[in-house]
Amino acid sequence: MNLPTLTSADFFPMLPAIIMVVGACILLLSEVFLSAHSSRGYQAVLTAITAVIAGVVALKMVFEPAREVFLGFGALDPFSSFLTFVVCVALALATLTSAGFLRKRGAERGEFYALMLFATAGMSLLAISNELITLFVNLEVLSISTYALTSFLRRGTRPSEAGFKYFILGAFSSAVLLYGAALLYGATGTTHLTGMVLPLANAVRTNPALVYTGALLVAAGFAFKVAAVPFHMWTPDVYEGAPTPVTALMSAGVKAAAFAALVRVFVTVGPGLDPQLPLTLFSTLALLTMVAGNLLAIPQRNVKRMLAYSSIAHAGYLLLGVAALFATAPGEAFSLLGSTSLGTTATPQAVARAEALRGILFYLLAYTVTAVGAFGVVSVLERREDEERGTAWDLERFSGLAQRRPGWAFAMAAFMLSLAGIPPTVGFLGKLLIFRSAVDAGLIGLTIIAVLSSAAGVYYYLRVVVYMYMRPVPEGAHALERNWMTEFALVVSTVAVVVLGIAPGPVTEWLVQAGHLLGR
Amino acid sequence: MDPSLNPLASYLPLAVALLLAGALALIIPSLAAVLGPKRPSAIKSTSFEAGSESSGPARQRFAVKFYVVALLFIVFDVEAVFLYPWAVNFQSLGWFGYVEMLVFAATLVVGLIYIWKKGALEWES
Repeated sequence: MNLPTLTSADFFPMLPAIIMVVGACILLLSEVFLSAHSSRGYQAVLTAITAVIAGVVALKMVFEPAREVFLGFGALDPFSSFLTFVVCVALALATLTSAGFLRKRGAERGEFYALMLFATAGMSLLAISNELITLFVNLEVLSISTYALTSFLRRGTRPSEAGFKYFILGAFSSAVLLYGAALLYGATGTTHLTGMVLPLANAVRTNPALVYTGALLVAAGFAFKVAAVPFHMWTPDVYEGAPTPVTALMSAGVKAAAFAALVRVFVTVGPGLDPQLPLTLFSTLALLTMVAGNLLAIPQRNVKRMLAYSSIAHAGYLLLGVAALFATAPGEAFSLLGSTSLGTTATPQAVARAEALRGILFYLLAYTVTAVGAFGVVSVLERREDEERGTAWDLERFSGLAQRRPGWAFAMAAFMLSLAGIPPTVGFLGKLLIFRSAVDAGLIGLTIIAVLSSAAGVYYYLRVVVYMYMRPVPEGAHALERNWMTEFALVVSTVAVVVLGIAPGPVTEWLVQAGHLLGR
Repeated sequence: MDPSLNPLASYLPLAVALLLAGALALIIPSLAAVLGPKRPSAIKSTSFEAGSESSGPARQRFAVKFYVVALLFIVFDVEAVFLYPWAVNFQSLGWFGYVEMLVFAATLVVGLIYIWKKGALEWES
């Protein structure tokens, strides 16, 4: 029998995921030996430490040369390593805000953290998947963990509604994605993304309907996961009903991982397709998502729901970057992405494509630190009792916060400015990178709409700041409990938002590396 | 069409089999409905419950423990299925395959300890 030989080099890119799975197993095993009254404070700390170790390992891998692993089923490249780093950051920050949140509700359990770790391990494996079935399995690992996390606080109607909606629609979208993958397999005879390029170029000529249907279904499946309009209906209800730290992980981590898979699939098979198809497709999605996300967020008085719609809008800006990845000069072959491989003869569109990829990666990091921080502030302000009444996340909660907790108010103001894209925050820099690459790629009309819709977004972000700084403290406001772990996470996020906004420093160097996808 | 041009062409027999199966599934029950004699009686109309007298409506609520046990059975049953091909190829897989299977089994042992201590295997609680 002819057996493939796997070496330790094959397992190396899985290291962050292995670390997180081991951490999750330790948490599961230690949980069952605790009595109901044992102290569970170690669990959040252990999870955060695991996430940090995995993140550092992933960051080291950014400087590894790109190569295929596991016989082409996986790809170790700076792109996947950087995204693994981003999801580890999301996990670490979300975990730190969970400890106080769960303790207030008497729901601190090892399973919660284990599921968070399993979900993040799935995200990191999704980033390295280079084959359609591997990709689907890892997508399910992350989805099933998040379905369970969504309804972790079972009591009440909201968590059940959220969990049920997410599960039904998520399973449906997975099926759509799988059907698209099956059609692509039918058209090309392979599920390996890199091996699919040549057969795909043939199949586009002989059987275009099959290829385009497959590609569109795969894109629709991903559009659901990144919450792009018109596949966004589930987002507000699920984000509102899920425990706030889980919402933070979903909005940052799941989105980053889904974008990783989306970019890898379409950029890898891109040379086999006519690049005009993904360009049109993602431009349309970006247009709808930016406009609808921002307009729907404006009337929201519920801050958690507002942040959900805002996350839709941010997916739109990211899709604008994805569309810019497929801009080609007339007659130019679509292939170049990495920056070092660009010679002096590179067309402006090729430069724009490389810029767009770096812009997407930076934006994902920027959105992660900002959104997880913002959900962290929301989580310390809410109370269990108000959830059924629906007032737990009302704007009134933020009234006079600057007098009661100046530190929290400052952090929230920084996050809101960053989400709105106002300098000197990291959100501004992220938008700048993406919009500039879109203009260079020739998507000028779409970029104007992006700028206008993000200007509309300033209204609902600044309204939170106005409530915090210019409204009096309401009568009978409940006491605000402090929690050192949550506050530590808020400090880290705020520092990241401001410092990365002024001096991106080493991150730009990582990004130059991370602009390389396998073989480009 | 040349099958090398369209890889889906080799799935044609499968499509034919699917169509035939679907057609038969429609035809046979409808033939039975049209041709068969109909002499209903009270005893024939009751739901069949393993030959004994039927008691109560079918829409009862079942204890969740049945589902838990069924789920756990599936999980560990599938594990056993994975062991068969591994055992058949044990010689050629060598030490690498052995360690792989140990890792796989260790993961399941973690799950087993978890459900055991959680009390999912206790029938009366």
